[in-house]
Order: sequence, then structure tokens, then C-alpha cells
Amino acid sequence: MSTTRHHINRQRRRQARVARPAATATPAPRCPGPATDGETRTVRSRPRRPVGLVALCALTLLLGAFAGWARAEAESLRAEPARSNTALTDLARTSEIKGQVAEAVDRLFSYDHADPGAFDKAAKDLLTGRAVTQHRDLLADVRERADAQKAVITTTVTETGVERIDGDRARVLVYADQSSVATAGGKAGEQRNAARDEGVYAAAMLAVDVVHRDGRWLVSGLDTFGRP
Amino acid sequence: MDRPVRRLTASRFRTPYAPALALALVAGGLAAWAGQDWYSAAHDDRAAYAVQRDEALAAGEQAVQNLNTLDHRDLDQGLDLWEASTTGELHEQLGSGRADFAERVREAKTVSTARVLSGAVTELDERAGRARVLVALRVTVRASDGTRTDKDSRMLGELTRTDGRWKLSALGQAPVGGAPAG
Repeated sequence: MSTTRHHINRQRRRQARVARPAATATPAPRCPGPATDGETRTVRSRPRRPVGLVALCALTLLLGAFAGWARAEAESLRAEPARSNTALTDLARTSEIKGQVAEAVDRLFSYDHADPGAFDKAAKDLLTGRAVTQHRDLLADVRERADAQKAVITTTVTETGVERIDGDRARVLVYADQSSVATAGGKAGEQRNAARDEGVYAAAMLAVDVVHRDGRWLVSGLDTFGRP
Repeated sequence: MDRPVRRLTASRFRTPYAPALALALVAGGLAAWAGQDWYSAAHDDRAAYAVQRDEALAAGEQAVQNLNTLDHRDLDQGLDLWEASTTGELHEQLGSGRADFAERVREAKTVSTARVLSGAVTELDERAGRARVLVALRVTVRASDGTRTDKDSRMLGELTRTDGRWKLSALGQAPVGGAPAG
């Protein structure tokens, strides 16, 4: 009948069944799993492995937690408003801003009826954003009056203080004196100098917002504190 | 089926220290870096200077406002505040002229209130404890007949640190006309 082949196959299966546990028996002692003969060994190896490993894991977690906490702490320290403002702490930048703002205000608020081009050029060179319309609105009347009276308006900044510098933006408080001299017209040169002594000085104060662009500080906002 | 699985777990249990140790070392490195970063952030000279600057400005603005606020109905408290906000020469001046000044205000029956529009520190000597501030101020004076006048003032103040607090040691208005930029 189907004797030989059937028999051989059955024998092979039986052998395999016997061989399998034998094969697994070799790594079993190291494996703490369901090993049948490893009971005595696992008792010895079990406490050894976790102690070191658990300690290492705990150390890792602790160190990681400290790193995260210290990082957050450093971040929050750096985010303090006092630190983000570099006015005076960055002396070079502070004096650069002071100088450029003083010059800008001098030019932006001075007007010579004989040379309106200089005024327009100052506005074009030094203003950006909403400061363009603010400047136009602020000086529209002044300009009209100066043209009518053939006047020369000279603004001189007397004090500047940088309120804050935040990267490429800054705000500066400016005190300025403004003098207005009505000339007889015609050749203004000498007459202007002679008349200046009689000029009326007006005290002005304003806050100027500036923005750093292409290596220069441009005026981006003018705040006259609600006064023209 | 269960043979490869056993093998895998067995080999993992055999060398768990190496990756765990590596992880611990990485965590240690991170912790050292973060700790150092935190330390440097906490001991930043610029930051300490910035904090002094902001304290000086806050104290300066408050003091300038105090010295421009006075109610004739509450003279003593107002003038006490004036003296508390000042130090040095200015403090002495206010103290010696107090009686005369109080009498004048009592007669004029005025109420002055001040609002700081803007302020900036122009100089700060952290060690000497001296600072200069610009304070743009709007003072409103109510006269006895009810009329109100607003006046803007360009104040220049000098502060001196006494007992850890910034107080005004000089106060004046920026001169108008002829003063060169500086």
C-alpha cells in the first residue's frame, strides 16, 4: 500500500516535533520567557538586568527632563521684554539710530519756500509706510503758509532718546526746536541769515518709529501725541 | 513560527546596555548644553543692564508724573509724594520751599494732573547709579473757576539710585531756542 512513503513522512514529522524543543532549549536559559528548564537561571539573571538598565533609563529620563527644563528656562529669560529691547545695551546701534533720526527729523520738518525740491526729496528718501501720509498731513498747512509768507522753517533736534530697539525696528523720542522766518522773498540767502535771529522758536516733541532697511533707518511712523 | 521571534528577543536582551548607555550619554550632553545655556542667559551682563534701564525709566516716569501732580485740597499728601520721589539737591530744594509753595497753591486752588506721553533713557551708569531720562509730559491744570488748560512739557530728568531705588535728583524742561543738538 502506501506504506514506505507514508511511513517516512510520518517519521520525519515526529522527528521534527522532537527536534524543535531541543533547538529552542539552547537559547532558552538566556531568555527569561517561558523556558522550561531556566527557572533557576532566570531567578539569578532577572534582578541583574533591570537594576542597571532601569538606573540607566532613569538617568536618561532625568537628564532629558533637566535639559528640557533648562532650555525652557533660558528661553523664557531671553523672552523678557527688558532683554528684547536693546536700547542702550547696544550702544553702537543706539547712537547710530539717534544720529540718523536727528538728521531725518531736521530734514523732514524744515521747509524753504525757495527750495521745495529739497523737502520733497527728504520725504522721498527718509519716509516709508504710513509715515508718508502722516508727514504729508502734518506739514500740508505749514507748507502752504510758508509758501504764502515766503517763509523758511528750520527744525533743529535738540534731544533724542531711544525708547526701544527691537531688531530692525526702533522708537525714538525727539525734542526739537522749530523756527519760522518770513523773508521778503527774492534772493533768500543773506536775508535769511539776517532774519534768523528774529525767528520765533517753537518747542516740539514727537516720537518717531524707524525701521532698518538696506543699511539705513527709515521713518515708518510719526507720533505727535495728538498735537499738530 | 515562534522560532524567529524568540531569537530576536533573546538577542535584544543580550545587548541592551549599549543603546541605553548611548541614549544616556546623549541626554547627558544635551543636559550639559542646556544647563550652560541657561546659566549664560541668567548671568548676562547686558540683561542686567537692560533691567536697570527699564527700572530707571519706570521710576523716572513715575517721579516726573508725581512732581507734576498736585491737588490743593490734598496738599500734604501730594507734597509728601514729591519728597518721596526725589533725592539729593532736588529733594532739599523741595523740602525748603515746601511751605511757601503750599501756600501759593492753596491760594490759587489749582488741581494739576500729569500724564506721561512717552519716555526714554538717554544715559545709564549702572555702577555709579546715575541715569538721564527724557519724559514727554502733558500737564492738565484745573483752575478754581473750572477752566482747564493742557500744557505739554519736554522734561529732562536726572536719576540717582539710593538704597536700590531710582529717584529724581534733578528735573527741568528742555530749553527752547538756540540749544545745539546733543
